[in-house]
Amino acid sequence: MTSCLKTTPLHPWHKDAGANMADFGGFDMPLWYETGVKTEHLAVLTSAGIFDTSHMACLFVTGGDAFKLINYCFTRDITALDPGRCVYGAFLNSKGHCLDDAIVYKNSDVFFMICVNAGMGAAIAGHLNENTTGLEVTVEDLTGKIAKMDIQGCNSARIFSKLIQNPAKMFNPLPYFSFKGNFDESLLGDSAVKLSDGTPILLSRSGYTGEFGFEIFIHPKAIVKLWKDILAVGKDLGVTACGLGARDSLRAGACLPLSHQDIGPWKFKNHPWEFALPYTKDKTSFTKDFLGAKALLSTEGDVFVYPFVGESLRKVAAGEETKVLDKTGAVIGRVLTCATDMGITRHDGKIISIASGNLLPDVPIKGLSCGFVMVSKQLDPGVTLTLAEGKRSITATLVTDIRPDRTARKKITDFL
Amino acid sequence: MKDLKDLNFPDDVKYTKDHEWARKEGDLITIGIDDYAQDQLGEIVFVELPEIGAGFSKGDEFGSVESVKAVSQIYIPVSGEVVEINAGLEDAPELVNQACYTQGWLIRVKPSQASELDSLMDKAAYLDMLKG
Repeated sequence: MTSCLKTTPLHPWHKDAGANMADFGGFDMPLWYETGVKTEHLAVLTSAGIFDTSHMACLFVTGGDAFKLINYCFTRDITALDPGRCVYGAFLNSKGHCLDDAIVYKNSDVFFMICVNAGMGAAIAGHLNENTTGLEVTVEDLTGKIAKMDIQGCNSARIFSKLIQNPAKMFNPLPYFSFKGNFDESLLGDSAVKLSDGTPILLSRSGYTGEFGFEIFIHPKAIVKLWKDILAVGKDLGVTACGLGARDSLRAGACLPLSHQDIGPWKFKNHPWEFALPYTKDKTSFTKDFLGAKALLSTEGDVFVYPFVGESLRKVAAGEETKVLDKTGAVIGRVLTCATDMGITRHDGKIISIASGNLLPDVPIKGLSCGFVMVSKQLDPGVTLTLAEGKRSITATLVTDIRPDRTARKKITDFL
Repeated sequence: MKDLKDLNFPDDVKYTKDHEWARKEGDLITIGIDDYAQDQLGEIVFVELPEIGAGFSKGDEFGSVESVKAVSQIYIPVSGEVVEINAGLEDAPELVNQACYTQGWLIRVKPSQASELDSLMDKAAYLDMLKG
């Protein structure tokens, strides 16, 4: 049964660590280790956690028309994107439906890297290649040629600085959504980032937890050593190996979508991620033409996706069977994601986080369920809904954001 | 997930196909979820239990166990009336993970048909089922 699943270079480590494994995007991946999801989730909010994200796929897009191809296929307008910067967005089809979300890394005007989700390397490469007519551009799927891990949380830079050459130079400056270096020695420019043993890496100030940290792209042969080294040098600071369970609850609390679950074969609009669309200021048009733009500008078949927070840590299963009911009891949609952010609670009508500081000792952080609903009509924040799964149900309130006091966007100098 | 050989299945309880266990204790039957179930579910964060006095028929859903991963319904292995619930799980649901056959028990029932217990699987039959 598991024999057809793909594995990452860290797979033996996960098994040795007693991880609870499951299929994710065709890969046998750790859901959690013996530490448990709650501890792993909280480690990222209070110290640092590491995630094996080698199941994700990367593409290189090179050539004189690389910019043209990406700017036509990607939802972000990358006209003003500087080399060394990266940006989050999505690839749509002509119906405006989402094929996958991605981060586009600009090395130069003629060389971009794109990081997409597990198993999506060939699909997105194929999609790009369908749109290259008349363009001078090459799309290379790097699936299997590159490994990746993320280190997330306030101690990430303190830990990682012990493992790279010239950390002061590498980290300063390194703003949110910028990157340095490359995992391929032959592609290293002035911004080379190397581990202490000389291994080249691509270091990106990003991640998918909402917290401060890095994504590290590295040769598959070198990742196990890096993983073990981080656990060793970060032990005193409490660094913790985290599975996809904690990644899911952290990203849900950070109001970030999971591809193929919160974004998918429906229109990529009317959702919390409209920053990923190139709207003009008045939101009546786009700053560029791109694949799917025409469909998005029409209101036909529109649906609405909103973040919600529950009353307690109790949740419902996400999926087609779980209905969203308004106060009249009418079914108006379904639940896309329902996870529990174990690091937050409600106090005096506000959501507070374990990382908020000045927590009152008599206010225990118990966790709150949260996620996204897809409904057929426009609703305002503050609206309460019932999420019903068979006989069970929970009350959910629509919100504009979930976990407060996240650190992802803060200055790196705050964490050195 | 642990290998079957690393899971604990005591001899003094009976098992159901839905991974509940039942143990005869005097006139009462104590019920919980087994080591396989708690391992599959992962960290349990909430246990929903019935009211004392509630009556159920064998196979009825009597509550749910919620983990960080999923919400799982639990089914009663024998017909009867609930005479006691494990109130300690309200503040410490993790007891189900830590000691599913002892401190992590769920409910005690007064069985209406004590012979139903005999129809449940013993350890050997249950292990055969798990091995498929």
